[in-house]
Amino acid sequence: MNLIEALFTSPFLVMALLAGLAASVSSGIMGGFVVIKRIVFISGSIAHSVLGGMGFCLWLRRTQGIEWITPMHGAVAAALLSALIIGWIHLKYKEREDTAIAALWSTGMALGVVFIALSPGYNVELMNYLFGNLLWVSHSDIGLLVGLDLIVIAATALFRHRFLTICFDETQAYLQKVPVRFFYILLLCLIALSVVLLIQVVGSILVIALLAIPATLAGSYTYRFSKMVALAVLIACLCTLLGTAAAYQLNWPPGATIALVAALLYAARFLFRKSSSV
Amino acid sequence: MTVDVNALCFSYDKSPVLEDASLKIACGDYAVIFGPNGGGKTTFLKLLIGGLKPTGGTIALMGQEPAKVRDKLGYVPQVQRFDRQFPISVLELVLQGCLSQLRWWGSYPPEAKDAARAALAQVDLLHKEKDAFGTLSGGEMQRALIARALVGNPEILLLDEATAHVDQKTQILIYDLLLKMKGKMTILMVTHDLQPILEKATRLVCINRRLTLYAKEEMCGHFALGLYHPPPPR
Repeated sequence: MNLIEALFTSPFLVMALLAGLAASVSSGIMGGFVVIKRIVFISGSIAHSVLGGMGFCLWLRRTQGIEWITPMHGAVAAALLSALIIGWIHLKYKEREDTAIAALWSTGMALGVVFIALSPGYNVELMNYLFGNLLWVSHSDIGLLVGLDLIVIAATALFRHRFLTICFDETQAYLQKVPVRFFYILLLCLIALSVVLLIQVVGSILVIALLAIPATLAGSYTYRFSKMVALAVLIACLCTLLGTAAAYQLNWPPGATIALVAALLYAARFLFRKSSSV
Repeated sequence: MTVDVNALCFSYDKSPVLEDASLKIACGDYAVIFGPNGGGKTTFLKLLIGGLKPTGGTIALMGQEPAKVRDKLGYVPQVQRFDRQFPISVLELVLQGCLSQLRWWGSYPPEAKDAARAALAQVDLLHKEKDAFGTLSGGEMQRALIARALVGNPEILLLDEATAHVDQKTQILIYDLLLKMKGKMTILMVTHDLQPILEKATRLVCINRRLTLYAKEEMCGHFALGLYHPPPPR
C-alpha cells in the first residue's frame, strides 16, 4: 500500500501530514527571518532547550498525576522562555552572546534528558522529541499546532516591514521610533513557536534543517523577501511530503528522512551552483 | 542652536573615545566632520542620533534629547556594513524611511510609495527602484541610502563617509545633492576627503578625541587635500 492509499485508510496519517504541512508553513516564513538575520545558531539553541520543558511536563504528568499537562505545553513554555532569555542576552551582553546561548542550548537538553529519565514508564518519547515522529501527533496537539501556525502567520503579516527593517538595519528602525527590543524579542518568540511546530515533524535536533534549508534555497532564487518566503514554504512542504512518503515506503524514521530530503535538495543546489560557475 | 554638544565624553569600556567635546551648530549649517581613523567620528554621529549614551556631558538636538527627536533625523551609515545578499529591493529600502506611515495591517500607503519614488528621483536612481539593493554598485548603494534618509524630510541630515568608496562621478552627484539641501536642513557630514567640500561647508570640525572648530581660512593647502596635518587649535 502506498502513501496515497494509506491516507484514505489511516486517519493518523492524515493528521500527521496536516501537522507536517502546518509546521512547513511557519518554518518557511520564520526560516526566512532566521536566514536573513543570520540567527541559525540562536534558533538551534531554542530548539534544543525545548527538550527541558517537554521532559519537565512529562515528569509532572507521570509522577505528580497532572493529567492535563502535555509535553507540547512544556515545549511552548520552554521555547518562549528560551527566546526571552536569548533576546535579553543579545540585547544586554552582545560580546558574550555565543557562549551564553551555547550554555542555554546544552542546559535545556540536559534537563530534558534528566526529567525524561526520572519519569516512570516507557521512554520512547525521548526519541520522538529528539528526532520527531509525525505519527505521534494527537488530536489535542493538532488544535494547538494550527493555533500556533495562525499566530505566526498573522504576526508576520502585520509586522513584516518592521521585522525586515530590524533584520537589515536596527539603527534605521530605531530612528523611525520602532521599539527595536520589543520587535526583536517578538521575532524570537515567533521563531520559538515555529520550532515547537517543527519538533513534531523532525524533532528538536533536526529542527534547523527545516528552518534554515528551505529559506536558504529560496533566497538563492529571488531577492524579494515575500517571494523568498512563499518559495521557502513550498520547499518546506515538498520536503515534508517527500520525506513522509519515502519514510513510509522505506520504513525509515520520518523526521530523519524529511531532514535528509531537505539536505539533498540543498546539496543539489550547491552542486548546480558549483558547476555553473566553472 | 540645532546641535548643542556640551563637554561630551564617551568611552568604550575603559578606553576613552571622546573627551570634553563641545560644539554648537546652527540651523541650516553645512558642517563637515573630519579626523583620523579611530578619532571618534562615527561614535560622535552615533551619540548624536542617541544610539549611544554619553558617559559625560550633554547633547541637545533642537533643544531636546536626541532620542526624543530621532524621527527628525536622516542618517546615512557607511555602506560596507550591509549584507549584499539581503532580499530587499531599492524601493523597499527607501520605504524604510517611512515606517511611521505604515497602516495597522502592515502595508505602506500610496503617499509613502510616492515619497520614496520622489526621493529616488532626487538621487537619480528611480530607474533602479525594482532592483535588488545588493546588486547595486557601491555608489548606487550610497545614493539609495541617502534617498532613505531624505524621504522623511529630516531636519538634520547626518552622513557617515557617504563619499568613501565611490567614484568621482558619484562623489560629484552626492556633493551637488547636498548643496541643493544646504539651507533646507542642517547637514553634518563625516568625510576624509575635504577638498571637494571645503568651499561649500559652513563649519569645519576636526574630531580626534576632542572637537576642534576651524575657520576655512585656517585650513592649509595640504590639509585641504585630505592629509591630516591640521593647524594648531585656536
